[in-house]
Amino acid sequence: MNFYYFSSPSTFYRLAGKLAPWFFALALVSGIAGMYSGFVVAPTDAQQGEVYRVIFIHVPAAWMSMFTYFVMACYGAVSLTFNTRLAAMMARALAPTGAMFTFVALWTGAFWGRPTWGAYWVWDARLTSELVLLFLYIGFMALANSFEDARRGDRAAALLALIGLVNLPIIYFSVQWWNTLHQGSSVSFKGTSMHVAMLWAMLLMMFSFWMYAIGVALVRCRTIILERERRTQWVRSLT
Amino acid sequence: MNAAAAPMPAAAGGSFGAGFAWAFSRDLTLSLRHPGEALLVVAFFVLVATLFPLGVGADPQLLARIGPGVIWVCALLAAFLSLPGLFAGDYADGTLEQMTLSPHPMPGWVAGKIAAHWVASGLPLTVLSPLLGLQYGLDAQTLGTLVLALLLGTPTLSLLGAACSALALGARGSGVLLALLALPLFVPVLIFGAGAAEAQAASLSPTPHLSLLGAGLILATMGLPFAACTAIRIALD
Amino acid sequence: MDHNYFLMMSYGMTALAIGAELVLLRIGRSRALKHIEEERDLETQD
Repeated sequence: MNFYYFSSPSTFYRLAGKLAPWFFALALVSGIAGMYSGFVVAPTDAQQGEVYRVIFIHVPAAWMSMFTYFVMACYGAVSLTFNTRLAAMMARALAPTGAMFTFVALWTGAFWGRPTWGAYWVWDARLTSELVLLFLYIGFMALANSFEDARRGDRAAALLALIGLVNLPIIYFSVQWWNTLHQGSSVSFKGTSMHVAMLWAMLLMMFSFWMYAIGVALVRCRTIILERERRTQWVRSLT
Repeated sequence: MNAAAAPMPAAAGGSFGAGFAWAFSRDLTLSLRHPGEALLVVAFFVLVATLFPLGVGADPQLLARIGPGVIWVCALLAAFLSLPGLFAGDYADGTLEQMTLSPHPMPGWVAGKIAAHWVASGLPLTVLSPLLGLQYGLDAQTLGTLVLALLLGTPTLSLLGAACSALALGARGSGVLLALLALPLFVPVLIFGAGAAEAQAASLSPTPHLSLLGAGLILATMGLPFAACTAIRIALD
Repeated sequence: MDHNYFLMMSYGMTALAIGAELVLLRIGRSRALKHIEEERDLETQD
């Protein structure tokens, strides 16, 4: 099996086109299941009442914001090491989705924080680092598009993504390192104190966001391929 | 601008140390030739730190609370302001390209430039910070912690800033872009740096903060010169 | 402000963000196709 077969934009374009609908379908199904588990099955929380249900968006979005950045940086590393175009295009395709998840995490966090902590925003370590993450995504997109030569933008942004990777452990461990307002993690490999329906809802939503992100990245990458390769024969023959 | 450039050795071998020393002395000589530019950074730092008490009022408790944070923010801004001159001048007149042809390994002379940048911006800030801290009514121990934190943190700022400056070479809207790239990366240094002094002021131990600053400095010193080299190579292709 | 308000704002904004992303995806694709057409027309002009 030739692993490099799909590293050519034209073959990847076709593959992505066939795969994307499946990922969206998975996202939809698991999203519906997650929402059902979260709103119909899961009971009201003893302390927080109904508003705790924001967790089914907030935690998956926060997790995806970090995971997407990590994958984006990996694609950046691949594109720098092997000097490939497609890996850089995938990194560019992931950035807006990552930024979206970061924004959603911050927004839902604010609207969960207001009724529970009393404030929409506090300058604690985790929130601040998540905000920094949002700026890293925006910086990535800005840098990638600041040059006439798209390849220069690819490489510079990939390097930036790698430099910014150090922020991820800070976000992740910030809750342990500082005595912050933000609660510690309630889910770990040892087990969880959460009600099983709540846990299922959260995991299903996490899966749903993940599938959605892959689907969107594939579709966006196709568009990027069209723009970049628009002078090639195979793209011309598509329209 | 590059009249101070010492002639490159024609020898086949080059070393990290020689490259570092050459670039360090060259950049330092150049900045001393135009003291106005270098002093501008320091003057900005002192001015802004002085303006805050005038703006927020003279309540000693408030000033003591915000002192470390304000001084750190000024350090960040001062570090940021002196970034464009780090590579841009040499890039514009082709000197940077010439320097990449040097027999000395590239991380060496890049590190030398960054060190000279720090000596011209971060070091004066660190030295002046006790004076500014007195304006805010910080006590001696807090001042000491602040100086130590700045000593550990400002080189990291120079290193991070240098990498961002190299990334943004020749980009459209490079001023704002540089801010967008550098300031988010500066934030952890700011948090730990100001946090160290604030912890000391609250009679808590600043050791965790200072340790993290130190660790950050070590990581930055090991990794960022190479990152800056890669960024320069990307810019010169 | 009862809890429903916060829930609605959270889920509503999320739906809005996802919707906006999908819309922008469509717009991006149609713009790319348009650029291809323009390039082709520019070349056939010569």
